[in-house]
Amino acid sequence: MMKRITIDPITRLEGHGKIEIFLDDQGEVKDTHFVIPELRGFEVFCVGRPAEEMPRITQRICGVCPEAHHMAATKALDDLYHVEPPRAAKKLRELFYMAFYVTDHTTHFYALGGPDFVVGPDAPKYERNVLGVIAKVGLEVGSQVIACRKRNHEVIKMLGGRHIHPVAGLPGGWSKAMTKADREEVEEIARQNVEFAKFTLQVVNDVVLSNPAYVDLITSDAYTQPIYYMGLVDDKNRVNFYDGKVRVVDPEGKEFCKYGPHEYTEHIAEHVEPWSYLKYPFLKNVGWKGFVPGKDSGMYCATPLSRLNAADGMATPLAQAEYERFYQTLGGKPVHHTLATHWARVIELLYAAERMLELVQDAEITDPQVRLIPTQTPTEGVGIVEAPRGTLTHHYVTDERGILTKVNLVVGTTNNYAPITLSIKKAAAGLIQKGTVITDGLLNKVEMAFRAYDPCFSCATHSLPGQMPLEVVVRDAQGNVVKRLSQHV
Amino acid sequence: MKTLVVGLGNPILTDDGVGVKVAYAVRDALASAGLPGVTVTEASVGGLHLMEMMAGYDRVILVDAIQTQTGQSGAVYSLTLGDVAAATPTQHSASAHDMNLPTALEMGRRLGLALPDTVEIFAIEVEDVVTFGESCTRAVNAAIPVATELVLRSLAEGPPTSHQEEGI
Repeated sequence: MMKRITIDPITRLEGHGKIEIFLDDQGEVKDTHFVIPELRGFEVFCVGRPAEEMPRITQRICGVCPEAHHMAATKALDDLYHVEPPRAAKKLRELFYMAFYVTDHTTHFYALGGPDFVVGPDAPKYERNVLGVIAKVGLEVGSQVIACRKRNHEVIKMLGGRHIHPVAGLPGGWSKAMTKADREEVEEIARQNVEFAKFTLQVVNDVVLSNPAYVDLITSDAYTQPIYYMGLVDDKNRVNFYDGKVRVVDPEGKEFCKYGPHEYTEHIAEHVEPWSYLKYPFLKNVGWKGFVPGKDSGMYCATPLSRLNAADGMATPLAQAEYERFYQTLGGKPVHHTLATHWARVIELLYAAERMLELVQDAEITDPQVRLIPTQTPTEGVGIVEAPRGTLTHHYVTDERGILTKVNLVVGTTNNYAPITLSIKKAAAGLIQKGTVITDGLLNKVEMAFRAYDPCFSCATHSLPGQMPLEVVVRDAQGNVVKRLSQHV
Repeated sequence: MKTLVVGLGNPILTDDGVGVKVAYAVRDALASAGLPGVTVTEASVGGLHLMEMMAGYDRVILVDAIQTQTGQSGAVYSLTLGDVAAATPTQHSASAHDMNLPTALEMGRRLGLALPDTVEIFAIEVEDVVTFGESCTRAVNAAIPVATELVLRSLAEGPPTSHQEEGI
């Protein structure tokens, strides 16, 4: 018989993860399940609608990354209508997207991931939040975070047309060109972003990397799993969030495959487990071998860490220098330490800020030619971008009028369901042994394994109760609850 | 008094968007009745973003979907932030991706942002928030005019004085 530990939301429909940890008679971890409810009927909802509505519909799926859906959908429409946007349109889209990345990665580092390190993994749970971060690093940091979000939200509104749900993406381009005055304003914002990203890396350095206990934690076996890594790369195999080919490297860091949007179904398949509604994407040409790491297992992840691992470098100078330091510090490529994802995310923040500055200083960015009107009959389109939480694929098929007949999305976090499950298992097995007393701090360390992925289930499930309410239920061999703990992630 | 009414939720997820529908009904009613200083908007965002939206307003009314353990679909509740902090959160007053609203407001206050003294929440008990669809289920749909009337009455009467949002 197995004992069972359940980390469960307060109510099913709050849309959050349930973690079950099964113990054997010896009190060792036998297995773990990671379950979240799934939304229903998205394809049915979309079929019969004009494909042009997708950039506005799909961003409604999620309150966290509407910009990523907007961008993937817009690129899928370019493909569907067989139209190549003008260069200025592509640059505007990418500029807009970099502003989004800066806000998103900033928020994760300071509000979600940061507290574990800045405040400490064993700190009382009521201190392990953004207020604790402010208390430790200073009120000024909080003001900087808010200011960073505010100025980049302004850019998103300016370029995307709306504050929260952008409307500027069109098949063949972007709905409005950038004025010279707007360009100057955004240039100043981009400069501030670069400074802020540098400052954030300093925080990582001072608070995390200078603390040997944290470095030991990051590199410890409980948070280490060699698997395949996925990320979008440019023609020089450097990290790119907006466009390029999907590159996958094996656990030794060698290129396993590289494919364009249309080939995704040749490389990715989905595994189904009876205990979860979720589908687990895996590499078709390796095969599903269960929740196990290694070269023979088709599991892959798509995170900031995996993007760094899957690429040969960063396309901007400061981020490239930090990229090199990252691998020097952590013992070479690829890095298999899940918790290093937080550092990788901050390197990506610096890249996004630098890339934003590069784009806004490009003379072509104010070119008025930002749209090519499609003239060909629509057929089938695939658009891929890197969402902050993983490679995002939109795939549409329409009739000759552009009315949707088939829709498939592989959303960011979905890529990571299998590795998240494995990470939880590994962390739980490393931390819970025979006779272990399950404390708040221990529970938090299990949760840290999946928090590193910046998991967002708003695409798969929607409702947003906020701090993720979780419950740990420890069951004895007969399935009786012997201990119950709950906290907010 | 500068007032903000926010309908929270996802309008393409069956009952999840009920708050947005109520907000638009409030806006339509105000358009004919006229009430100066009231802004009505929608959002599908959580704590931090919601707090940022509130900056600069004296009073905020949130309309949101809620699911309680034993609630009847279509029931309308009037809640305070204290209730939210203490009990089952409403669907959107907090976000999986950042932090819950009370924490976000506390952060905003510590940073010296001009945040409202009063945050009132009207929450509608919902049934289905996992199926894509633009219409609410029957009982929830019937609650829209009820909740709309409650918001309008609250706007006309002014903010409650008995439960200030201190100490959250």
